[in-house]
Amino acid sequence: MSAPAPAIEEASEQFESIEQQRAAAELGMWVFLATELMFFAPLFLGYSYGRWALGASFAAASRHTDVVIGTANTAILLTSSLFMALALRAAQLGQQRATRALLLITAALGMTFLALKGLEYYDEWREHLVPWLDFRFEPRYVHGAALFYFLYFGMTGLHAVHLTIGIGIACVFALRLRWYAAKRLSRQIEIGALYWHFVDGIWVFLYPILYLVERHG
Amino acid sequence: MNTIPPVRTLVLVWVSLLTWLALTTATSYLHLGLGNTLINLVIAAIKLALIAWFFMHLRHSDAAVRLAAGAAVLFLFFLAFLSFSDFLTRSVLVAPWQGADNFIGQPAQEAAH
Repeated sequence: MSAPAPAIEEASEQFESIEQQRAAAELGMWVFLATELMFFAPLFLGYSYGRWALGASFAAASRHTDVVIGTANTAILLTSSLFMALALRAAQLGQQRATRALLLITAALGMTFLALKGLEYYDEWREHLVPWLDFRFEPRYVHGAALFYFLYFGMTGLHAVHLTIGIGIACVFALRLRWYAAKRLSRQIEIGALYWHFVDGIWVFLYPILYLVERHG
Repeated sequence: MNTIPPVRTLVLVWVSLLTWLALTTATSYLHLGLGNTLINLVIAAIKLALIAWFFMHLRHSDAAVRLAAGAAVLFLFFLAFLSFSDFLTRSVLVAPWQGADNFIGQPAQEAAH
């Protein structure tokens, strides 16, 4: 690959400096992430109410989730965040090839997560745990369990949509590194990385409330 | 301002995250009653804090960015508090036409078992 064009650091006209532009983009992204948090919040609120009002049903339903895949996926996502952080570091240091490789590893880990999640969904469908698709459960818990799985699919589904977008962003950056110097792209990668870590952070809360409720029971 | 973190720091944060993950998974197999829920939530909060502080480099961010992040969490609690002041103080009254199939009637149903 030919050497990328030298980074021309020139701020857009509304900014005084490139650093001011970077800071504005960072703040804008955090404000966007705040709205994303509000997007997920009703699901967490609904879950909290269900866990309070239908505690035994939620515990019984949670024990039917696949804790092995869930735990593996949590570890995969946490690892992907490490690689995303390393990718941003490499970009800031101007390491063209390393940035690209690290971004692709991050995306690959995200895809592994989605593949395992798909496998999990398939198993849940076979075990009649999908609400409205011939849902079956221990009769005394069936209503609460249906609500739990409704929330389970809603939350993990919304998370999967976000992760898919994150994978797309990582791949686009990896592609753009063909034409742009890593250092120049680093400010954009920084914004993409914030999104990636946010999606990881959401999962950090989904994992215990979906997979670990009274696991000992 | 643009502080580039050393690889060592990032790897240590990752090791710490996986250790907390192992802890939260392991403790959920012990009978701790309400403790299980508390441990799970506290560990999740610690993991999120590690991700935000180091991976999302909040520790090097401007005051404005920290304020935005803090305000998001604060308002989340405000909204949850206001919502729960409604939901948690309702008594569930099952109307005669609401059968056992109805979610709304479920809390009483479950308690009856």
